[in-house]
Amino acid sequence: MENKNRLDLNTELMVLNMGPSHPATHGTVRFFLKLDGEKVVHMETEIGYLHRGFEKHCENGTWTQAFPFTDRLNYCSAPQNNVAYALAVEKLLGVTDKVPPRAVYIRTIMCELSRMADHYTNLGAATLELGALTAFIYFVEARELTWDLIESVCGARLTSNYIRVGGLASDLPEGFAARVKEVFAKNRVFWDEFDKLLTHNRIFLDRMRDTGGISRADAISYAFTGPCLRAAGVEYDVRKAFPYLAYRDVDFDIPIGTTGDNFDRYLVRMEEIKQSMRIVEQCLLQLPSGPININDASVRNPSKEDGKTYMESMIFHFKNTIEGIQVPKGEAYVATEGTNGEVGFYLVSQGGGKPWKCRVRPPCFALTQAIGHMCTGHYLSDIIPTFDMINLIGGECDR
Amino acid sequence: MAANYKKVNRGVTLTLWERLYVMEVLRGIIITGRHFIRNWVSTFRSYMSGNPAGRGIMTIYYPEEKPVLPEAYRGRPMLVRAVDGKEKCVACGLCEVACPAKCITIVGAMRPDGTRYPETYMLDGAVCIFCGLCEEACPEEAIVMTHNYEGLVEYDRSQMLYGKEALLVPEEKLKGRLDYIRRRMYNKCNY
Repeated sequence: MENKNRLDLNTELMVLNMGPSHPATHGTVRFFLKLDGEKVVHMETEIGYLHRGFEKHCENGTWTQAFPFTDRLNYCSAPQNNVAYALAVEKLLGVTDKVPPRAVYIRTIMCELSRMADHYTNLGAATLELGALTAFIYFVEARELTWDLIESVCGARLTSNYIRVGGLASDLPEGFAARVKEVFAKNRVFWDEFDKLLTHNRIFLDRMRDTGGISRADAISYAFTGPCLRAAGVEYDVRKAFPYLAYRDVDFDIPIGTTGDNFDRYLVRMEEIKQSMRIVEQCLLQLPSGPININDASVRNPSKEDGKTYMESMIFHFKNTIEGIQVPKGEAYVATEGTNGEVGFYLVSQGGGKPWKCRVRPPCFALTQAIGHMCTGHYLSDIIPTFDMINLIGGECDR
Repeated sequence: MAANYKKVNRGVTLTLWERLYVMEVLRGIIITGRHFIRNWVSTFRSYMSGNPAGRGIMTIYYPEEKPVLPEAYRGRPMLVRAVDGKEKCVACGLCEVACPAKCITIVGAMRPDGTRYPETYMLDGAVCIFCGLCEEACPEEAIVMTHNYEGLVEYDRSQMLYGKEALLVPEEKLKGRLDYIRRRMYNKCNY
């Protein structure tokens, strides 16, 4: 009798549009869902709402003018994009080894500080969308302190525009190491409190554990990188596999998960914050003194003092600014470990002062394409933590 | 000195205490309550002593209190007026070409004594992205990023077109920034 009643019920699949501006998806992305009750049967993702033509913008300016645009890719960790682009241009120029060691160390410090800030934002926003507002406030305060550090170096919190081809825009401010120590002491307290509030929280565990999982093989075939790949148990980190900057000289652990579900991603990210602090502290201890810019006027503008004294320096200054740095013909790809995964720049130069092609490999593009695979068969509410842990950044994904 | 892979501890097993849930709620309340009391006491104390810096919370009561900006801060770009009252700018046009947003327009002219100066200098505040590349390109240190962040917004875009008169600032007011870029950014020892 009961079964018969059930069959009589109208059980058509329900079609639901989630987004493009859904309050629980921090980013403009549209999910097209087919639901059987509360279970997701089919899921399609539509991206591109934040497309601004980054690559075309870069082709219309000189090599240096692309830096402010790279800030706006992953806006939570702008210095990392700057570094990736600068490394790619330096590879084209063949001056990678000539960048002074102080610049290399400061670049590493900035990369790790922005990695911390990005993870704070990601984890904070994720918990916010799961209903834990207080934990969000604690991590936003920690992020604020980290961004204050970045601001004191670059001059801006988000749009840092700090790295230049062959060097840096400015040196570290006076008393930076002491301020880092002060901020890290506070950040560790916030980390502990966040950990106490959430890691052993039953509600949080129920939402995170065994949801949005992906197997090791699937993660690789979907071209996952970064924390999401490592959460699935794959030992791959660009910082270790292909060491760049000063990562060869510092001691740190790379957290690895086992099952690749949301809880593993959360744990990997939490651990990475701690490791980033370790890297920054080691780099500050080893920080060499000396110049921060390459001593080559055809790559980096000479100092203003030289520009006012020597005719050649002034000519280089004008030519570098008006025509751009003269980059020889060729192409280069450089991969760096961004916060979400592998951030790579593929540059093609036809000779001259402008990039002929500037292609960025955004990590969350590869991650977002698998969200349908990860959510199908789970409940509708599992989309929220899965999407949070993917950490889609519209600026980077849609470019 | 190397990086090592390390497994994270996923096997979080909840003790009976944690599974009871009510106790966990209490623990959470203790953590948040500690913050509440600390903020409350420190705010009260700073109010009594009249020292806003002693407040434990990050919030700045904005119009009454101003944030302390770092030296490197990049605010609105301004032109430098030299001590003799003339513009330092020589209308070379480097900032115009260096600007990635293309927000600067200059028309140069010549004074009777043969020095060049900008006849018109237009900076579109609605287009400027505050990247600081104009400051880096300027060979005369005539355009600098100031600490000025107020009044950047208008109701009408046409009011955000700043002319020469709106941009020129006496040199002594920009001393801090000029000193900073000479010391930390374009100093000879950095090359």
